Amino acid sequence: MEIGISHYLILSGILFSIGFVGVLRRKNLLMLFFATEIMLNAVNVAFAAIGNYYGDLSGQMFAFFIIAVAASEVAVGLGLLILLHKRYGSLDLEVISSMKG
Amino acid sequence: MTHILSILIFFPALAGVLGFVVDKRSAKAYGIAVASVEFVLSLWLWVGFDNVNAGMQFTEFSPIISQFGISYNLGVDGISLFIVIMATLITLLGIISLRDDTPNMKNMIISLLFLEMTMVGVFVALDAIIFYLFWELSLVPMLYIIGAWGGPTRVYAAVKFFLYTFAGSLIMLVGLLAMAYLYHLDNGVWTFNILDWYQLHLTTDQQFWLFLAFFAGFAIKVPMFPFHTWLPHAHGQAPTIGSVILAAVLLKMGTYGFVRFSLPILPDASVYFTPFMMVLSIIMVVFTAMVAFAQKDMKQVIAYSSVSHMGVIMLGVFAMNAEGLGGSVFLMLSHGIVSGALFMLVGVIYERTGTKIMSEFGGLAAVMPVYATVFGVMLMASVGLPLTIGFVGEFLVLLGFYKVSVIGTIIAGSTIIIGSVYMLALFKKSFFGPVTHKKNLSLKDLDGRELTALLPLVAIVVWLGIYPKPVLDPIDNSVKALLVQMEEHAELQTTKDAIIISKKEAE
Amino acid sequence: MEKFVYIALFAPFVGALFAGLFFARSPKTHLVGIVNSSLIAVAFVSAVTLALHVAEHGAVHVQMMTWIAVGDLNIPFGFLVDEVSVTMMLVVTLVSTIVHIYSTGYMNHDKGYNRFFSYLSAFVFSMMILVMSDNFAGLFIGWEGVGVCSWLLIGFWYHKEDKTFEENPSISPSWAANEAFIMNRIADLGMLVGIFLIYWNVGSLQYDVVFKALPHLADGLLVAIAMALFIGAMGKSAQFPLHTWLTDAMEGPTPVSALIHAATMVTAGVFLVIRANPLFSLDAVHGVSMFIASLGAFVAFYAASMALSARDIKRIVALSTLSQLGYMFAAAGLGAYWIALFHLAAHAFFKALLFLGAGNVMHAMDDELDIFKMGGMKKVMRGSYIYMGIASFALAGLPIMAGFYSKDAIIETAFNDGSFIIWGILVITAGMTAFYSFRQVFFTFHGEERYKALGFHPHDMYKYVLVAMAPLAVLAISFGWFMDNFHEFITKNLPDYEMSHETHHLAPYLGTIVIVLALIGICIAYIKYAGKGDKAWKRNEKKENSFIYKLVANQYYVPKFYDEFIVQPYTVASDKFWEMDKAIVDGTVDFIAKVIYVSGDVSRGMQNGNLSSYLNWMGVGALLLVLGAGISAFIG
Repeated sequence: MEIGISHYLILSGILFSIGFVGVLRRKNLLMLFFATEIMLNAVNVAFAAIGNYYGDLSGQMFAFFIIAVAASEVAVGLGLLILLHKRYGSLDLEVISSMKG
Repeated sequence: MTHILSILIFFPALAGVLGFVVDKRSAKAYGIAVASVEFVLSLWLWVGFDNVNAGMQFTEFSPIISQFGISYNLGVDGISLFIVIMATLITLLGIISLRDDTPNMKNMIISLLFLEMTMVGVFVALDAIIFYLFWELSLVPMLYIIGAWGGPTRVYAAVKFFLYTFAGSLIMLVGLLAMAYLYHLDNGVWTFNILDWYQLHLTTDQQFWLFLAFFAGFAIKVPMFPFHTWLPHAHGQAPTIGSVILAAVLLKMGTYGFVRFSLPILPDASVYFTPFMMVLSIIMVVFTAMVAFAQKDMKQVIAYSSVSHMGVIMLGVFAMNAEGLGGSVFLMLSHGIVSGALFMLVGVIYERTGTKIMSEFGGLAAVMPVYATVFGVMLMASVGLPLTIGFVGEFLVLLGFYKVSVIGTIIAGSTIIIGSVYMLALFKKSFFGPVTHKKNLSLKDLDGRELTALLPLVAIVVWLGIYPKPVLDPIDNSVKALLVQMEEHAELQTTKDAIIISKKEAE
Repeated sequence: MEKFVYIALFAPFVGALFAGLFFARSPKTHLVGIVNSSLIAVAFVSAVTLALHVAEHGAVHVQMMTWIAVGDLNIPFGFLVDEVSVTMMLVVTLVSTIVHIYSTGYMNHDKGYNRFFSYLSAFVFSMMILVMSDNFAGLFIGWEGVGVCSWLLIGFWYHKEDKTFEENPSISPSWAANEAFIMNRIADLGMLVGIFLIYWNVGSLQYDVVFKALPHLADGLLVAIAMALFIGAMGKSAQFPLHTWLTDAMEGPTPVSALIHAATMVTAGVFLVIRANPLFSLDAVHGVSMFIASLGAFVAFYAASMALSARDIKRIVALSTLSQLGYMFAAAGLGAYWIALFHLAAHAFFKALLFLGAGNVMHAMDDELDIFKMGGMKKVMRGSYIYMGIASFALAGLPIMAGFYSKDAIIETAFNDGSFIIWGILVITAGMTAFYSFRQVFFTFHGEERYKALGFHPHDMYKYVLVAMAPLAVLAISFGWFMDNFHEFITKNLPDYEMSHETHHLAPYLGTIVIVLALIGICIAYIKYAGKGDKAWKRNEKKENSFIYKLVANQYYVPKFYDEFIVQPYTVASDKFWEMDKAIVDGTVDFIAKVIYVSGDVSRGMQNGNLSSYLNWMGVGALLLVLGAGISAFIG
């Protein structure tokens, strides 16, 4: 069986769903980070696969972009997480909610 | 002379900005000075106005966003000329009638000057976007005037006034944008020039929906039944000056909108909707007049009577003949003068006694004879006595509308009966009978400030009642031109039949 | 001649302005009285000059300026002085002059002396516009103008408080003034509709144009125009059912009642019918004319019946005015326009005299109106006694007097027309008229001097006032002698009314019947009311409690009916409408606002600060978007 575009897309879909459920269900901020990373990477897979399918490099280019953005995001985000942890002693979303309308 | 309209619009605004640096104690004098200059400018406009020319005059045109056809486009014709003059006059007299101890006088003067800019702007704008801009801007100073100087529930009233009219005008904005889009579809260029829109041929279906969109904006402003309920709240809470300008000028924006937009752009829909407008207007005339009779508060009587008279104006707008439409434009003017004066008069007694409830008065004619006389003159103008300004418009409107519907005219004509019922009841309760409250015995009659504000209005009421020709002639010309334009651009033969420019021609 | 037209018209106006602008706030000054009276006299002299001119050279027509010109409508301020209007001008200015002079005495002690003259002169001005105008709109100006002046003058003593209906049937001057104004406005709407009808079908409001075009109009239209105009006339001339304001209008000062509510304004309706005679004499509107005549006859009888039992000296005179207006309408409706106009003039003279005499009595009795409290006053008030006697003779239609000629002519007309029911009613009414007018005279001037026991000290009016009233007395006696001259003068403009040969033959007998009935009426009145001693104090309790007496004394319960079935329901309905306006119309608006507020309040719960739940909402939103996109892709 040849591995075609649909397999990649299915994989991407599965990864994205995992990430999505993680975003919805997880209460720990760190875990949310992981979940978003998974979603981003799911999109990366899709980009690379579709780029390859059309023979167009811009798909892979976008994937690199996303990797770069994600990396910087993680750098900033983790720093913020450490600060939050120092202030609240926890990374649980229930604990650190302060913007109640 | 070429830029007089721009001067008329922006002079008060600039003066308003300068007003921030004027000394607090001389704020009122400053306001009077600016408003006088503005009034004289508007009179100059009249002097330079060519009575024979029915089209737009003093036009100014400079593109702003030419891709979308938005331009700074101004002009006046016989329909708008006198409303502009009335707006500047009422502002001047309103400022004169302000009490010297009004709190935050400076802010009041500045708001009034900004308000004046927007009022003049609405009536001289020939570009829909400019029109809309001034239309919405006029809400802001008014909101501030009601909200800052109003009565106990002023915030509720001000917010209701703002949101209600704003909601309507948003729908109107959609209509305006749709107009521009339809024009683009037809001609391939964008324009918001109202006069260009006049040339557009729209299908009856398009006209139907556009009419409804415009209706939402204008009807709430007029205010037509059943969209009138913001008005009693606004009047009840607004300070005297707010009520005066609201009743005299701001309401006219609605009826003016019908005349400037709905009729000429959408002739078929206007004729199609005439029965609907008639029913609403008649309900306005009769229902609100009866409600006025039930009021205990003098100001509310005037407020509801205002709605009732606006109903008569609306009837005239949809009479589709020169008599009715001309009468209705004239009635806009006379209603402005008379209701403005009546609100000022209510303000006089409110300033003295701190109440507007009629049962607190009684026998005022003996204590304040001059006040009672001026009130009496305005009352008679309000009930449409011949040889006062009120009769000319009312007579013409009813005369014109007679051609549309006999029954409608008779029912609406009952305004001369029920109008006198509530006005005379008000006069009797407040001015006749013995003086029932001891404290009223020492009330002072009108003083110099109040007389300066009121006597010009009395003079106009009598002058235009006896000799309305100088005003009626330009109105008549422009109204006839408008009707010709409507008839030419009507799609349906029934519409053409409904529009009567000259009876002789029709025969 | 033009200048005389303007003098006659504007002299009263100048007077009104003179008193109103310069003396409104200054204390009473006789200067105002004298100047205003002279100005009205000047107007009278101009009217006389014009009358002579008209008699010789025909009508004078002037156009001053354009008033309203819009579309095809063009209404000028134009004035037409022809035989009809000059007659009215003469009557109006003459009676006005005398009333003005009378008022200088009558209002001598009143605080509002200057104000009174201002209003009174303004009234004369409006009345002159009404009669002189050459178009229907101008007529309407005067029509409304006299209405306002009447409002001002009825409510002249505005400071009086409201009484209950039982205590004072007209409640208060200000109430009566409002009632008069509003009731007139009801009729004015009819008139306006008439004007609209004329305009849209003829294209002009000028009398000459309209009357020329009338024969070309459809029958139904003519009937509609005639009805609408007559509704207008009904209000001003207080015809049933719009009559109640007239008796209540007696709250005004007596000179006002004499001038406005007897001699001039109330006859405006009759004037309108006479003025529009080319319309009302058309065959197509014969039905309307018959209706006018029948209503006139009915009102003549109806008002006379109420006058039989009235105790208020002014109300009796007011009701007799109402009754005589009925006669005029009967004549006008039957096509005898010139007789109607003749009776109008004669009536103006003797009724003004009667009112002014009644005013003297009131003045002497400290504004007491109840004739039961008077009696035997002829000794102290000889002048007024003679005047009222003359006026009552004229009113009763006894020979030689003015009323004899004019009223008899009307009754004859009814007979000639073959309308025997109208004729019968008018004849009976003539008898009743004689009875009630002499009942009043005997109650007031003859018999027991009840006023003494009640502590009044009456004295007659100033001499000069009594002298000033003399012209009215002379005319009340002699006006009828000039009937033939008047006939010759007026029929140049109005259609002549020819009695048939037969009627002419029967005329003496018909006249005799009327005279006999009148004499019987006077005799009964004398026997019943001129008595002295105990009898004069006694009142017939049984009669006063009878149904018919009560019915008549309460004006057939018409005012009560109006109060209960019109005024009160209107008030209640207004209150209910206000409730509705607040609860339903405004309620809906507030409800919408509330829905928005509440939905905001509810959805505020989403904003709980929990990032996790935000993300959940975001997920839901994203899903919905995808779903929406999918559906639209599927459909589109």
